[in-house]
Amino acid sequence: MIRTYRALLVAQLQAASQYRVQVLLWMLFSVIRPVIFLAAWVAVANAQGGQIGTYDVRDFAAYYICLSLVSCLTASWNAYEFEYEVRFGRLSPKLLRPLHPIHYAVVENLVAKLTQIVPLSIVLVFISITFDARFRTTPAHVLLFVPSVMLAAALSFLSGWVLATTAFWTTRVHSVSTFWDRAAFIFAGQIAPLALLPGPLQAISLALPFGYVLGVPAEILRGGVSPSTALLLMAGQAIWLAIFFVAFQRVWRAGVRQYSGVGA
Amino acid sequence: MTRYLRLLRLFFRAELQYELEYRLNFVLEIVETAVVTATSVGAVLILFSYTTVLNGWDLGAMLVLLGCFYLVQGFGEFALQPSFEKFLENVRLGTLDFALLKPASPQFQVTLRYFRVAQLAQMALGAVVVAVGLSRIPAIGLAEAIGFPIALICGFVLIYALLVALSTFAFWFVRVDNLMALYWSFMDAGRFPVDVYPGWLRVTLSSAVPIGVAVTVPAQVIAGRLDPLGLGFLILGTIAAFILASRFWRIGLRSYTGASA
Repeated sequence: MIRTYRALLVAQLQAASQYRVQVLLWMLFSVIRPVIFLAAWVAVANAQGGQIGTYDVRDFAAYYICLSLVSCLTASWNAYEFEYEVRFGRLSPKLLRPLHPIHYAVVENLVAKLTQIVPLSIVLVFISITFDARFRTTPAHVLLFVPSVMLAAALSFLSGWVLATTAFWTTRVHSVSTFWDRAAFIFAGQIAPLALLPGPLQAISLALPFGYVLGVPAEILRGGVSPSTALLLMAGQAIWLAIFFVAFQRVWRAGVRQYSGVGA
Repeated sequence: MTRYLRLLRLFFRAELQYELEYRLNFVLEIVETAVVTATSVGAVLILFSYTTVLNGWDLGAMLVLLGCFYLVQGFGEFALQPSFEKFLENVRLGTLDFALLKPASPQFQVTLRYFRVAQLAQMALGAVVVAVGLSRIPAIGLAEAIGFPIALICGFVLIYALLVALSTFAFWFVRVDNLMALYWSFMDAGRFPVDVYPGWLRVTLSSAVPIGVAVTVPAQVIAGRLDPLGLGFLILGTIAAFILASRFWRIGLRSYTGASA
């Protein structure tokens, strides 16, 4: 398995090195939206004398910089490609190989993140200077962030695959992922840090998987929650990851049985 | 001119007929648009649960702005994106020849040929959001009522001109779809007034990517926050952008060679 992964990793790295400009452009996607909402919250905080709840302008900056890093590290885009694989029957050859198709996607996903992380860090340092961000991060937070962001990435990846497998039954994955993305827009901590979501929205975001993908790891990295709360939130991440793992295995097995290659 | 309008009507009807073949798809696309708009209004409401004013924009003005954002973005996805996507594909495959051989302006045929009719729903929803926002603004004078559609049309034309200019690079570099994707994602910044952004980003959004101007200025006009001089500059700038972009496109076209020829 390790040898297989190493071979896939080398192949994907070589493939990725052919599209260097594309790496930079995709990297910007994870920066644009956080910066937009950061600017808006800075304007709101300034209108209110510089403080909203426990956040001041510099805390917002730190939160959205962490969010941008997390959204790069947890990005998953298989739901968009899988529809075509099923519709054009391109999945068929992959199913015949001895390796589960998900492993190719895992490596592709990892390589994309590896290539983006360096340019992204440079952009984020620049933004954190512009907005004068203040991080409350302690070494304990960094230690907790690493497993937390890995859980989040796995959760985002697996939930993306569960969404993608709906392509076996309907060819309109696009609608499904639009609804999913819009729920994430509200509940994942993009439009506001989870702590600032009014009333029931905050409870909903922690009951559903969305908050655990973006908001939770970002808040841990910023140092916005105490280590004990962080552990509790990570338990939530683990629970949702387990749910999606089971769901993925069930849905995949049922879906492959249902699948028939077109044009094969 | 009437010939071109007739052509436009023909293109539109063909696209409408094509889309109505996929009825469920058509309905789903409209539902998606409604969800997207509703969640965006939700985001603005969450922001305004903490403040009554954002950089001088109150909730009413902010909703007008968000409505303008969906009007402009809806226009882009309804009238521009489909044609420009096809255009890039045609350059790559060498099938642009067919458009060039027909007896009408190549730029017109290439850039206004396809429509995604379902996206008219996005414009309609944008108009609804504008109306809701306006109901919270006390009175609208005659000048504002006249200036608003002018500013909005200028916004449409500005977006069009920038797309023309960007897509021209396809004549030399062929693969520019990433550049276009980046442009559409920058569009997202239009949901807030351009003056909330820090200096470097504000300059980018109002000059290089005129989305800030295209959305913010119409909203400013209707909310009675823009002087006639500003509107005059917008009109002049739009005309200049249109002429320059068209000229650039024609220069690019000279480098086009049919790949299969």
